[in-house]
Amino acid sequence: MFRRLSLTSRLTIFFIALASSVILGLALLFMLEADRHFVDLDSAALDDKKHLVKGILASSRSREEASSRLNEALNHHHGLYVLVKGPQGEKLYQTNGYSGPTTQASFITTEDGHELQSWTNGGREFHEMSFTAGMVQGAAGPLQVSIAVDTQHHQEFMRELRRSIAIYAVLAILLSGFLAWFAAHQGMSPLRAMKRRAAAVTGQQLQERMPEDAVPIEMADLARELNEMLGRLQNDFQQLSDFAADLAHEFRTPISNLLTQTQVTLSTQRDLKTYQDTLASNAEELQRLARVVSDMLLLAKTERGVDLPHKESFSAAQEARELVEFYEAVADEKRILMSVEGDGRIYGDRLMFRRAVSNLLSNALRHAPVGGVVSVRIESSAREIGVTVENTGKEIPPDVLPRLFDRFYRADSARRHPASDGAGLGLSITKAIVEAHGGAVSATSDREWTRFRLVFPERRSKAEATA
Amino acid sequence: MEVVILRSAKEGQLPMKILIVEDEPKTGAYLRQGLIEAGFVVDLARNGPDGLHLALGGTYDLAILDVMMPGMSGWEVLQAIRHEGLQVPAMFLTARDQVEDRVKGLELGADDYLVKPFSFAELLARVRTIVRRGRSGTESTTLQVADLQLDLLRRRVTRDGKRLNLTAKEFGLLELLMRRQGEVLPRSLIASQVWDMNFDSDTNVIEVAMRRLRVKIDDDHQFKLIQTVRGMGYVLEAPEGR
Repeated sequence: MFRRLSLTSRLTIFFIALASSVILGLALLFMLEADRHFVDLDSAALDDKKHLVKGILASSRSREEASSRLNEALNHHHGLYVLVKGPQGEKLYQTNGYSGPTTQASFITTEDGHELQSWTNGGREFHEMSFTAGMVQGAAGPLQVSIAVDTQHHQEFMRELRRSIAIYAVLAILLSGFLAWFAAHQGMSPLRAMKRRAAAVTGQQLQERMPEDAVPIEMADLARELNEMLGRLQNDFQQLSDFAADLAHEFRTPISNLLTQTQVTLSTQRDLKTYQDTLASNAEELQRLARVVSDMLLLAKTERGVDLPHKESFSAAQEARELVEFYEAVADEKRILMSVEGDGRIYGDRLMFRRAVSNLLSNALRHAPVGGVVSVRIESSAREIGVTVENTGKEIPPDVLPRLFDRFYRADSARRHPASDGAGLGLSITKAIVEAHGGAVSATSDREWTRFRLVFPERRSKAEATA
Repeated sequence: MEVVILRSAKEGQLPMKILIVEDEPKTGAYLRQGLIEAGFVVDLARNGPDGLHLALGGTYDLAILDVMMPGMSGWEVLQAIRHEGLQVPAMFLTARDQVEDRVKGLELGADDYLVKPFSFAELLARVRTIVRRGRSGTESTTLQVADLQLDLLRRRVTRDGKRLNLTAKEFGLLELLMRRQGEVLPRSLIASQVWDMNFDSDTNVIEVAMRRLRVKIDDDHQFKLIQTVRGMGYVLEAPEGR
């Protein structure tokens, strides 16, 4: 239940609880102190009267004289009662209207060391001090004296105080609750602002950003992270839609060619050879299209991060040598020297690895000049295996390097011969394959060499690890 | 350019029988026509149950099954065929390329698996590979096409009695072409069989390799044995009448 409460409600409840406990605690403390203070006042007043009574008793010559002097002395003291008993317990003097306790008395020790008794009579509370006093004449021993004071006016004051405090407490708690709600509501306003922004984000409106500067510092981090996430999404989304557009464009030209060529051929009677040529040309173009489609599917599958099904441990150099052998004829034609150096064991999909390196090699062979060099260098460390395919040739401008791995990107925008040129997917496939192996690709180029480097993490197969 | 006809099965042998089960009308019709022209006897079924019926009724050297068919899939057809105890070789055609599908195909005992779009030359080459398995002829140690001779044991190639110097891969390439003389071999099949590269390279490796081989084999001779079939691949065969 509490889980579903809004943050504002939670904070309000918390603040109300906090304010209540503070206010009620203070009120309680205040009341207790006031109460004790009144007891002390009573005690001091009683002590005062004790000396008066003692003095009168000590200086009175007879019972009657004592009574009249006591009456005279205590007449003005409203709410003060005195009871004097003789040694045998007989009443010698009693103030008018005095009647003893109707409830069990309780003892209070005041701060100045006096012992008081507290009792009630007829709903009124009395504080009483008892002591013994001597009378010079007319008595055969010490007298028992009790002085009691009616605390009614204190009680009334306390009642009044309690009422005021209660009213104040209720009002204060209500006000603090409201203020707490207001503060929480205000505090949450950046969140609501972010919510509104988030609601505005759609596939077409990915440029919306969270207000990083307008929110408190605590939320700026969140806003920043969200903005970075939006940035990444926008990027990916853009790539995806570019990709779809590229794909459509990639197909438009060849399909248009095929259509035109076929329709022109059909438009009039032609000789057999023309038909054959047209069909053969169509077949070539269609094969290229088919390859783009399978490359695209491979790319989509690899990028989606499907687990590589056939993992094994293999020698990178062995695979590279077989690839070099495969490309031997092409290299020979251009009098390019090919070599493989170093070795390392890679745990992964052998066919995929071949494909990745094959794309790099064909790329290198295409761009190396006649009489140039293409080499594969493999170095292996405890943490990773690096496979570098390098070729001599023209320097690739630094701004182009990172784009080389983009789909359909061609460094030279002018189309090459379609049969010898891929769809511009080779390097992106290489990248996807290496990334599917948990590795990374990079490209560097200077005036002499262009290098593509694949890094595979060192990961021994389970069989090897347990052996 | 010389017209190259996809040659029929060798004379003296019974023609191979192939069953095609394919619901897509155009695909089915073209496959049928292509395979008939390549010398096979072909039956075409338009759906799974018909295909199964035909398969159980006749003896086929190969069944080509489309995977995605309404009602009864290619998998189910093959399962039913196998259930009846028939061990006819099978090849699947599919528009989906999923690893699970390949695994499933292999588990069912499929012999091959082709993903659309595929080229007909590729299909034909693979069909021939499968039906050849069934007919193990006597292995001879020399291959001969016209005046070209290849000695497998001594790894020597002669044409018109003259010794030719081939690299190891060129020898392998020529061996493949000669073993499958008269058949148009697509580039992908050549790359796969000679170099073990089971994917298309975006370079013209095969063209270059073929060109170099042809220089050695055909340049000094009036009759060219190796022909390029545009849009399909390469074929090695003796000139007509020789």
